[in-house]
Amino acid sequence: MGSLRLATVTKQYGDVVAVDGIDLDIADSEFISLVGPSGCGKSTTLEMIGGLTMPSEGQVFIDDNDITDLPPKDRDLAMVFQNIALFPHMNVYENISYGLRIRNTDKEEIDRQVNQAAETLQLEGMLERSPSELSGGQRQRVAIGRAIVRNPSVFLMDEPLANLDAKLRVHMRTELQQIQRELDVTTIYVTHDQEEAMTMSDRVAVINDGKLQQIAPPLTCYNEPANRFVAGFIGSPSMNFVEGTIEGEQFVSETLRVGLDSVALDSVTGVTLGIRPEDIYFADAEPPERTEPIEATVDVLEPIGEKIFVYLDAEIDETAGGELADAQEETRGRSKFLMSAPSESEIEEAESVEIVFDRTSVHLFETATGEAIAHGIAEPTQTPR
Amino acid sequence: MAGSEETERNLVQRYAKQAIERPQSTYRVLLYVALAFFLIASLFPFYWLFVIALTPNRSIVDMGLLPKGFQPGVFIDVFEQIPFHIYMLNSVIIATLTTIIVLFVGSIAGYVFGRYDFPGRTPLLLVVLVISYFPGVAFLIPLFQLFTENIAFLGVHSPMLYNTPWSIVMPLSALTMPLIIFLLSTFYGQIPDGLEDAARIEGSTRIGALFRIIIPLSAPGFATAGILTFIIVYNEFFFSYLMVSGTAGEWAPVLHGIFQFQGSQQVAYDLMAAASIIGVVPVAILVMIAQDRIVSGLTQGALKE
Repeated sequence: MGSLRLATVTKQYGDVVAVDGIDLDIADSEFISLVGPSGCGKSTTLEMIGGLTMPSEGQVFIDDNDITDLPPKDRDLAMVFQNIALFPHMNVYENISYGLRIRNTDKEEIDRQVNQAAETLQLEGMLERSPSELSGGQRQRVAIGRAIVRNPSVFLMDEPLANLDAKLRVHMRTELQQIQRELDVTTIYVTHDQEEAMTMSDRVAVINDGKLQQIAPPLTCYNEPANRFVAGFIGSPSMNFVEGTIEGEQFVSETLRVGLDSVALDSVTGVTLGIRPEDIYFADAEPPERTEPIEATVDVLEPIGEKIFVYLDAEIDETAGGELADAQEETRGRSKFLMSAPSESEIEEAESVEIVFDRTSVHLFETATGEAIAHGIAEPTQTPR
Repeated sequence: MAGSEETERNLVQRYAKQAIERPQSTYRVLLYVALAFFLIASLFPFYWLFVIALTPNRSIVDMGLLPKGFQPGVFIDVFEQIPFHIYMLNSVIIATLTTIIVLFVGSIAGYVFGRYDFPGRTPLLLVVLVISYFPGVAFLIPLFQLFTENIAFLGVHSPMLYNTPWSIVMPLSALTMPLIIFLLSTFYGQIPDGLEDAARIEGSTRIGALFRIIIPLSAPGFATAGILTFIIVYNEFFFSYLMVSGTAGEWAPVLHGIFQFQGSQQVAYDLMAAASIIGVVPVAILVMIAQDRIVSGLTQGALKE
């Protein structure tokens, strides 16, 4: 088994910094997701853990042994690749046993291990087939089989489900979790799908622009995002943001005013307010801690079954909007909100509605840095970590 | 009206009309013409060699298209008069050795050029490639000096390689290498990175991944490179002629065997012709076997992921 530590790992390609000083401390048998938009450096980070890419700076430790300069074969880890990467000229048995055969394990031991892996992955009876004769899900299982058969101390997974169709993806997601729990192996899982990261991991590491934004359990990332990027990335559909300023004890933007009773603001002026679609209610729904109602027009409705996504145009009274030049009116006089309403709501497009925010779920971020200032503007102030 | 127009056309006009209306048939005729030309150009020499071989030597004057006489025993005489099989074996050994060296070194170099991205890769590959354009003859005299103990450096003489297979294998390896490197680097470059990464994570070194994953998946390219090398070396003249003295026991290849029938007073044309035909056999067999392999390798679709 293995714990894994990255110490200010950095990777530069010429002038481009792909990974910028990432520190990670991963406990034994933990399931960690590295999540971020494409090109954020999460795959590069994984490759550096795997030894396929050499870091420009920093170190990688497994069980407190510095493995930064070890070739991949001596690192005692296994990897599942996005493109599955089964060896096309070998059958399933040969694919799964490849690592064992390289290490000159004796024949009976290989047989035993492969059969055991095949049993875990429901691949019995397919060992003689070639990868081209398998379905997508079966190939993925073979790739996992190849990884688990050696009992590695760390599992690396680089978007292993990205190439599967949606239904199979959800199914394999559960299977992967079961296997991980069964084997109790430290797992690093790279994905761009925040939902995958949220549902599978013990902790989620959100990466953007090569920097670690936040590493925390999924719900902490959701409820207390460290900055505006995490807030926008975690959760689907994504959080609504309104830029504004602080005037006295109020958040003021073109379209709304929100009183901030007790939030310590430390003389920050440029503030972005964030509110998740699921924390917006119609004024008559009465959340316990609500903001002043806001006038809005329903723009588009997207019913998805258990709820309706409502695209809203919030407009402020003429007092503020009237002074604006015509050209800017479109953008400055109004804000778009996305609201997740219960499916039984009786609303229609172009209807005028009043909405309120749940004050316990309003997030404030410093506009300049994106850092979180407060999560929830109800009473006792929660200060971000 | 239509009927009278038909009769006014001459043969060429009718053919032209047909060609315009049914171009497919014209293409087919042209294909046969071209094919026939190439077949005649490549097979006629063979046929002529057979004619000469079957004609007794004293009758070889004013040859027509048919043999003057019939002596099939000449194909056995070749082996009885000189140890022609030893010459052939020498050739096969020399070509095989060269092929092994070229494929081994060429694979490693092809891997580097095909799969590594390093500064100066393209210029370096071009320099390597330029070498293959040099005529081998240009290197002949210095290499001859080098292989016959005539070059001394710091008191150490170059080794005596004259009359050993190495005097042919080494220069020919060097001359074929660039082409093979170029060929293999294109093939190796096409193998998806993921497969190599997977092999390395699973416990292979880079070299291990090259031999276990990349080469097997590039089998058609690898086979082509091998056959190409073998044929180039087997057919080579200058080094094969000049780097050995010409006796069977001293690594003389096939061409020396053929020249054995050329005396100072008389030339045994029939035996030379028979030896030439026999000399082609190993390469012909190789190409037939390997062509099958290459085709099967391609149709397997082994490269698809």
